[in-house]
Amino acid sequence: MPSTLAARLAKEWRQSGPGYMFLLPWLVGFFGLTLGPTLASLYLSFTDYDLLTSPSWAGLDNYEYAFTRDRRLGNALEVTFTYVLFSVPLKLAVALLLAMVLDRSVRGVAFYRATYYLPSLLGASVAIAVLWRQIFGAEGLFNQLLLVLFGWQGPAWVTHPDYALSTLVVLAIWQFGSPMIIFLAGLRQIPQDLYEAASMDGASGWRQFWRITLPLLAPVIFFNLVLQTIEGFKAFTQAFIVSGGTGGPIDSTLFYSLYLYEEAFANFRMGYASALAWLLLVIIAIFTAIAFWSSKYWVYYEDEAR
Amino acid sequence: MNESAPKKIRRELLRHILLFSAAVVMLYPLLWMIASSLKPDELIFSDPMALPKSFDLSNYVEGWTALRVSFTTFYKNSFIIAIFAVIGNLMACSITAYAFARLEFRFKRIWFALMLGTLMLPYHVTLVPQYVLFLKIGWVNSFLPLIIPKFLAVDAFFVFLMVQFFRGIPREIDEAAIMDGCGPWRIYWKIMLPLSTPVMATAAIFSFIWTYDDFLGPLIYLNDMRSYTVPLALRAFIDSSGGESLYGELFAMSALSLLPVFIVFLAFQRLIIRGVALGALKR
Repeated sequence: MPSTLAARLAKEWRQSGPGYMFLLPWLVGFFGLTLGPTLASLYLSFTDYDLLTSPSWAGLDNYEYAFTRDRRLGNALEVTFTYVLFSVPLKLAVALLLAMVLDRSVRGVAFYRATYYLPSLLGASVAIAVLWRQIFGAEGLFNQLLLVLFGWQGPAWVTHPDYALSTLVVLAIWQFGSPMIIFLAGLRQIPQDLYEAASMDGASGWRQFWRITLPLLAPVIFFNLVLQTIEGFKAFTQAFIVSGGTGGPIDSTLFYSLYLYEEAFANFRMGYASALAWLLLVIIAIFTAIAFWSSKYWVYYEDEAR
Repeated sequence: MNESAPKKIRRELLRHILLFSAAVVMLYPLLWMIASSLKPDELIFSDPMALPKSFDLSNYVEGWTALRVSFTTFYKNSFIIAIFAVIGNLMACSITAYAFARLEFRFKRIWFALMLGTLMLPYHVTLVPQYVLFLKIGWVNSFLPLIIPKFLAVDAFFVFLMVQFFRGIPREIDEAAIMDGCGPWRIYWKIMLPLSTPVMATAAIFSFIWTYDDFLGPLIYLNDMRSYTVPLALRAFIDSSGGESLYGELFAMSALSLLPVFIVFLAFQRLIIRGVALGALKR
């Protein structure tokens, strides 16, 4: 019956209409720029596509190539995993150490907090990557310091395949500011009387750290760990600038993002680049799943503590 | 605590030494870059630790016009893109957040879950198809691919932040407004937005900094040097100096490129740091 349908529609519109009006820009963005492209990328990952001719179906070729024959991909994965494996724990350790030193009332807390945070804020910029390239160059600041302090002439770190990646790890650690701020916020929530009670019982500072600080901070550590790891997988600008856009020397700084960019926009292998994007999505999803699964065993949230 | 006084002083001192040396390490590279930008090229390497002897601004003057196009254009481009991105993000994300925080509509939970899901999606997945889309509609080599998405609330992070904030605003306020006959538009515009300046400011600051610093987006979409942003120009600088023969100029322009972010940081330090702790921002 048309009249009831019209009535239903009218009612539906009265209920949901305003909501959808407000949601309209996001809906367009979601379908046009997120969901649509995500599905398109999945489709493209099964094709050969050079942008000039239309995509031609290739089945699993891209994935087969990625898994069995692409040596540069293996290399990019190794570089990226190494980077994440070293930069994330070191960065978090430095962030936690300085957050703990800053936690007690210290003169000039605001100054220190701001100073430590600044590199995190500037870190994504090309200027910092340019600076890094110089600092760890053959005649760069770092080598000058080594020469003055130890009388030792160091190698050209950024252009030496054995060391180039470590300069990027150092850059990542230098940007410990944002996890530090998050640790600070977490530390402030630990009740002080726990520490007081512990020192009454004669527990040493070290013991207090292991028995009180670390367990109560576990949710924050978990949050920082997941966030920084995902950021690590996505790193691009630093490696691009420091290596002059090549991931060199001899692919030693060929980050996953850099390789994907190169395949897509230098070699115009858009299909293969899409397959790489989906592989990365799966890698990040697996990592996140493992993190959440393992968190059951080491992260205790206060509200479920008893 | 019953520590003896000397031990306490020693601890305090140790803490300050640690904090201060960390601060020096953090700032030294930046200060060194500024110092080097004020020196003639040959002194940057022969005398790397020293302060500049005179206040020589010639690197800045020469660097500004060292590329085919002057930095005036690059800064103008960067600011145009960043300012539109800020406006787009504030408008689109706040409207979306208002719908999620306050309005009732069918399938709301599903849409909200999908919105949160996009937070997790690495940019790589949409990179190629988005490029193809913008290429097909002829937007490549214009600012549109860098600006228009912001008007479609693609930065789910800001939506999330604003939803959290709006939820904290007492519902009695909008209920009273509804009694008085206000519709959702008026409530959004006259009540929610004016009460949300802290979260709007935080979103504006981060959106400005992230857009201004963005490298990959402009790298993909802008091919003509006249449309370059500052980060692209710096990269072109490295290439044009054939590696690094124009060090002084390169440093001068690098230092200058950090200036807008630095000014925003000095002006809004508290908001930025609170923003990080709050939503636990990254980057």
